[in-house]
Amino acid sequence: MFSSLYDFFLYMAKQEYFELGAIAKPHGIKGALHAFLDVDDPYEYDELTSVFVQEGHDLVPYFIDDIQIKPNLNLIQFEGIDSVDKAKELVGKKLFLPMSFLPKLKENQFYFHEVIGYQVEDVNLGLLGLVKEIVSLGAQDVLVMMYKEREVLIPLTDEIVPKVNKKDKIVNTVLPEGLLDIYLND
Amino acid sequence: MARSLKKGPYIDYRLDIKVQAMNDSGKKSVIKTWSRRSMISPDFIGHTFAVHNGNKFIPVYVTENMVGHKLGEFSPTRNFRGHIAKKDKGKK
Repeated sequence: MFSSLYDFFLYMAKQEYFELGAIAKPHGIKGALHAFLDVDDPYEYDELTSVFVQEGHDLVPYFIDDIQIKPNLNLIQFEGIDSVDKAKELVGKKLFLPMSFLPKLKENQFYFHEVIGYQVEDVNLGLLGLVKEIVSLGAQDVLVMMYKEREVLIPLTDEIVPKVNKKDKIVNTVLPEGLLDIYLND
Repeated sequence: MARSLKKGPYIDYRLDIKVQAMNDSGKKSVIKTWSRRSMISPDFIGHTFAVHNGNKFIPVYVTENMVGHKLGEFSPTRNFRGHIAKKDKGKK
């Protein structure tokens, strides 16, 4: 999986960070940048003072002079980036923050990356399989579970996944009749 | 050009029959369909459809705000899953 020990250490270091988004394009002529924040609520980040930018294999800290979060427009002005040419060098690069910056959630809320590896338990069918990943399909999110060596997709809605038990690492589900059969008989 | 209003929305006949039968019996099992062009009617709310995307079935749980759209809109055919990353996403 890792081509070198360096890659392994880089991977381990990234486990301490989460992906905030990416730089989309320059804005204006003074080095401001339009950032895409891939988060649920961008307004929680309107007082950021620094952010890590992925440059090659490294995460480089950049200090923020000014940040403006508006609907469909997130502008960031970094310290030392004062021209369009300097701004263009950052376009497309991913932004990261330490995991400690993640907003605290209520008891019944969870982040998608948290539930990977959790056991799926259905009200009627009992223990099923493990959560492999969660995929966003635009209009809805889908939980991917491995069951009998098959990939089973479960819509991530309140009706079908009513509860996640973080303490016991269990995702409780109420699967509609026949959902498993679709994937097992395929 | 939009579909003529006098025709009404297009819903696959067999799919409509299945939904009506389930609504009458009160059952809510998954309905397998290849009819991506069928429009979601208010009768579909609360049902789960397994919509084929050319490769496999994608489960679609129908909610109120999906009414008027086509089933195929919720079963992407070109699905780039991206790279697994920790993100500030998923608060339920």
